[in-house]
Amino acid sequence: MTTSNAARRPRTLAGKLSHLSSPRAQRQIRVLLTLFVSCAVLQGVAFVMLVPFLSAVFAGDADDTARWLAWIAGVAAGYVVLATIASRMAQDTASEVLRSLLARFGNRLVHLPIGWFVAADRTGKAADTATSGLVFVAATTYQIVRPIITAFVTPATVLVGATLIDWRIALVLVVAAPLVWATNRVISARMKQADREHGAAVADASARIVEFARNQPALRAATNTAVARGMLNQAIDRQHDTDQRSHMSAGGATAVFAGVVHLCVVAALIAGTSLTLSGELSTATLIGMLVLTVRFTEPIINSGALGGGIGAALNTLEYLDELDAEPVLDEPEAPRRPDHHRVRFDRVTFSYGEESVLTELSFIAPAGAMTAIVGPSGSGKSTIVRLLARFYDPQSGTVSIGGIPLPELGSTRVSDLIAPVFQDVYLFEGTILENIRLGSPEATDADVRNAAHQARVDRIVERLPEGWETRVGEGGTLLSGGERQRVSIARALLKDAPIVVLDEATAALDPENEEAIGRSMTALRDRTLIVVAHRMQTIQTAQHIIMLDGRGGIAEQGTHAELLARGGTYTRYWRSRERASGWRLTTSAPLRLPTSQGTPHDKH
Amino acid sequence: MRAAAPNATAGLFAPVRGSIVWILVLSAGSAVMTVVPLVAIVELAQALWPMLDQQPVDTARVWMIVMIVAAALVASFAVAWGSLVVGHRADSGLQRGVRTRLVEHLGRMPLGWFGDRSSGVVKKIVSNDVSALHHVTGHAIHDLVLAIVVPVLSMMYLFATEWRMALVCLVPLVVTLALYGVMMAGVKDQLVKYDESVERLNSATIEFVNGIAVVKSFGQGAREHARYSEEAGRFLRFYRGWMGETAVLQTIIEVITAPVAVLAWVAGAGTWLVSTGSIAPRDLLPALLLGLALSAPLLQLGYTGQAVRNAMQARKSIIGFLNQPVMPQPDVPVTPQGSAVLFRGATFSYDGQRTVLREITAECAPGTVTALVGPSGSGKSTLARLVPRFHDTTGGEISVGGVDVRQIAPSSLYENVGFVFQDAYLLRTTLRDNIRLTRPESTDEEVERAAAAAQIRERIGRLPRGFDSVIGEDAHLSGGEAQRVMIARALITDAPILVLDEATAAMDPDSEAAVQDAISALTAGRSLLVIAHRLHTIVGADQILVLDEGRIVQRGTHAELLVEGGLYQELWQRHERGRTGADVRSATQ
Repeated sequence: MTTSNAARRPRTLAGKLSHLSSPRAQRQIRVLLTLFVSCAVLQGVAFVMLVPFLSAVFAGDADDTARWLAWIAGVAAGYVVLATIASRMAQDTASEVLRSLLARFGNRLVHLPIGWFVAADRTGKAADTATSGLVFVAATTYQIVRPIITAFVTPATVLVGATLIDWRIALVLVVAAPLVWATNRVISARMKQADREHGAAVADASARIVEFARNQPALRAATNTAVARGMLNQAIDRQHDTDQRSHMSAGGATAVFAGVVHLCVVAALIAGTSLTLSGELSTATLIGMLVLTVRFTEPIINSGALGGGIGAALNTLEYLDELDAEPVLDEPEAPRRPDHHRVRFDRVTFSYGEESVLTELSFIAPAGAMTAIVGPSGSGKSTIVRLLARFYDPQSGTVSIGGIPLPELGSTRVSDLIAPVFQDVYLFEGTILENIRLGSPEATDADVRNAAHQARVDRIVERLPEGWETRVGEGGTLLSGGERQRVSIARALLKDAPIVVLDEATAALDPENEEAIGRSMTALRDRTLIVVAHRMQTIQTAQHIIMLDGRGGIAEQGTHAELLARGGTYTRYWRSRERASGWRLTTSAPLRLPTSQGTPHDKH
Repeated sequence: MRAAAPNATAGLFAPVRGSIVWILVLSAGSAVMTVVPLVAIVELAQALWPMLDQQPVDTARVWMIVMIVAAALVASFAVAWGSLVVGHRADSGLQRGVRTRLVEHLGRMPLGWFGDRSSGVVKKIVSNDVSALHHVTGHAIHDLVLAIVVPVLSMMYLFATEWRMALVCLVPLVVTLALYGVMMAGVKDQLVKYDESVERLNSATIEFVNGIAVVKSFGQGAREHARYSEEAGRFLRFYRGWMGETAVLQTIIEVITAPVAVLAWVAGAGTWLVSTGSIAPRDLLPALLLGLALSAPLLQLGYTGQAVRNAMQARKSIIGFLNQPVMPQPDVPVTPQGSAVLFRGATFSYDGQRTVLREITAECAPGTVTALVGPSGSGKSTLARLVPRFHDTTGGEISVGGVDVRQIAPSSLYENVGFVFQDAYLLRTTLRDNIRLTRPESTDEEVERAAAAAQIRERIGRLPRGFDSVIGEDAHLSGGEAQRVMIARALITDAPILVLDEATAAMDPDSEAAVQDAISALTAGRSLLVIAHRLHTIVGADQILVLDEGRIVQRGTHAELLVEGGLYQELWQRHERGRTGADVRSATQ
């Protein structure tokens, strides 16, 4: 089922948080929000009672003083109880939110189609989300939502209370409230905008510096580094300017907000003082009201700065929403089982976004034989093997194994049927044996060693400092590209799946790897083998060759001999490869020497 | 020789020292302006006091105080704004300064440092670390000054008016400080543990994401998911445990510093003092206005603490980076004469422990091809990279045109030594500027001629804006095409000595022939040092150096070495077997 319910997704922080967390966390968040509001109201009530309390104190009325003091103490006690509960609960809620979001995130990752991971580098953002992003989100309820609620609910309560005491000063505050609110909205928008601009400029400057670092070897050779320096300085300066502008604008907005709040205070002060001087307001009330007014400007002003935290939390939650919106592949209720392993592409059309790769492509790869796919770069060779391994489903047409379309086989069955060897081989942090064992976790040690031997991985191991126990992770650069591909072939050998998909390394292999990979392919020959082929001997020994035309379709297909006899695209391709294989490095004028060794083809 | 970068350790904050003084002054001003209105309101109450007893009041004085409050509020926001602006300006300046210093340092580090992994390091420093510094100048100083000055000034005023009420106000502050001290006692160890568990979750997530294509295709998605869940669980247990430990204290601190709680305490204690006759009712006012918010800035400081900690960590990593050794440059550069390359007992080790190259002695005569051959890990790539000074030898020397490479000014070295390796160094700018990167003064015609010789002119002509197309924007090149742009650049650079990784020619099998033609155009008439992978490409070399475990074990021409036997013959036979695919064929027949 494709998930897409963008319309129903809430947009506020609290809404998103509830929407994405577990039901338990949702309940906790609701209770917490209620507690926060209650605390804020109690706080307001206690402060309002300060006015009658002060009047009683100043009037020297001991009974009244005691009564109001008891009320204040009572409300304060209520506040303390509720705040204690809220604080304890907030911690539970934070870990529940974190737990449910981490679980949700992991679940989502495991269900996304592989295509999503290969389309772009997802590592940085995913790792940031799991560690800092979600931890921050988990803490926001308490650290950000609570102060914001307090900043607005407490003054509102005071306002209501103040109206009961003296409506004239309250009037000033009533007029001020919408003004403060509006300013706050404008500021949030301004800050968000400034944040975005700032982020973009920082990203650009950082990208330029990373580019500058990555290209150092080329840049050092420059007699005049004006070009690179120019680009770099421009980016750094632009970032600096944007920075200044966004800070001025954000700073300006905050200042205006603080200014508005302060103006209200001054207005209340002037109104209150003149009312008192004209005898219409008691001194005690005025003093009480002034205490109230002053006390509450601070949280309101500070709340302006909290908006940034909300934005950061929203960004993380929006990322989770985006993941939810990513379409996943259809999985069948009852996966079917093929009775043979012929692979068929039937009018398959596929594009990455705008960029069309395959158009109405059809071919059959016979079972138990080797099919080689060749063609110019960008002609969709790797896309074909990715579609077969079900990284994605095509936009139209069907890919089938044994006559059954992949969506009816389901991703699990497809991965059972196919052993892949891709170009970029991922090695986990662990020993070589552990990395090979991934092909079949229940294999015996002997099986693993045997697969390692067939792919000549044992030769690599001889060279490693700690032999089979050497840890070969992503961090290490112990293995070359060709050697990694050998480990990957060993995985495929161990898996013993009926279909093997191999995306041959394009990089030149040194003699050892060349030989080892050639040999280990022999061991795979009894399976249905589909190879994106670059090595000439792979191509010429394939039972079936598919020559892509570079425009999304197939130019020619057949055996090596048939295609050579036809004298078309494939023949031209083959001749250019032959010519290339006779190339010699010289320092004499460009001239292609006749091949003294002959080409593999000739020998054959 | 100048080795260490000057002033690498000099404070990162040095350039903004002036601004920091201003931030301090303005923040202190802002703190004063926060206290002044409160004091003025107390004075206002005192001025209006006679009205309670139906006595006349000094109206002028009352309005005067109202004006002071208004002025102080205006001043307070002006000063706060000023401090914010100065802080952020300093912050932008600081960031620009640090970025510029990083760039300068990058320009002087040994070339060997740069690679796939270093990109990650640079990225972390320029984006995360530099931004993390922001908090110090942008917020922390201001927060810190406020957290100290406001309570101190308030307490001074309180003690000046009524010492008993001042003591009452001091109680919550002292209790908070004490509890805070207890809470912070174990925090350092906990933070270390926290970082560790974050790191573990981080790597589990990275492995989960990077390896997902593999695990899913092998039906092992559940396994990696389990590992992620396990790390997430471990992280959560820690998070919960940590919060549990601090929870009680944290709750107590929050409750006793809450304005309501302080209000009840001050009102209660004040009422008692009034009833015993120790103080007058009006003495309650200063405490109620100034005494309620003494602890709040302290709590704010707690929240700021984490950001400051990050900033300090970032500072450490930036300084660590700036302290990395740079490539030494000669004080009195010598100009090389001719294009002979000489290795004299060259020895090299990356880490000072494992020797990668031992006592390499060889000569590459001008206009000849010297090929470096050997199994993976034999040191052939490292040896070739020593000539353009990706690294410096740890023993012996390498000379170009009769001069030790370390005595040649870098610009003059790279005029003499060009290199084409497998990495395509393309910048996000026009193809024209990419091709003439090393010689910006080259004319359009020269650029086009180089492109034509490098077999890439026609391809560029088909791009929307031709030579003005921008890499990564409207120019998306395949591997082989990018290689040919690199070769066009090397043609423009026109160095008489060329260090070449032969694999470059075969990185994109589908445009192999075109890349080869480009390389042939480039190598013509130069001295060539080649890292050879496919031996058939170098059978015509004037000299083949066979390396094994960092030593030259054989040298000679192809014909001589085949007769000699040994490692070269073995490599050649293996090469031929791989090339002809003998095994594949025998299996299929």
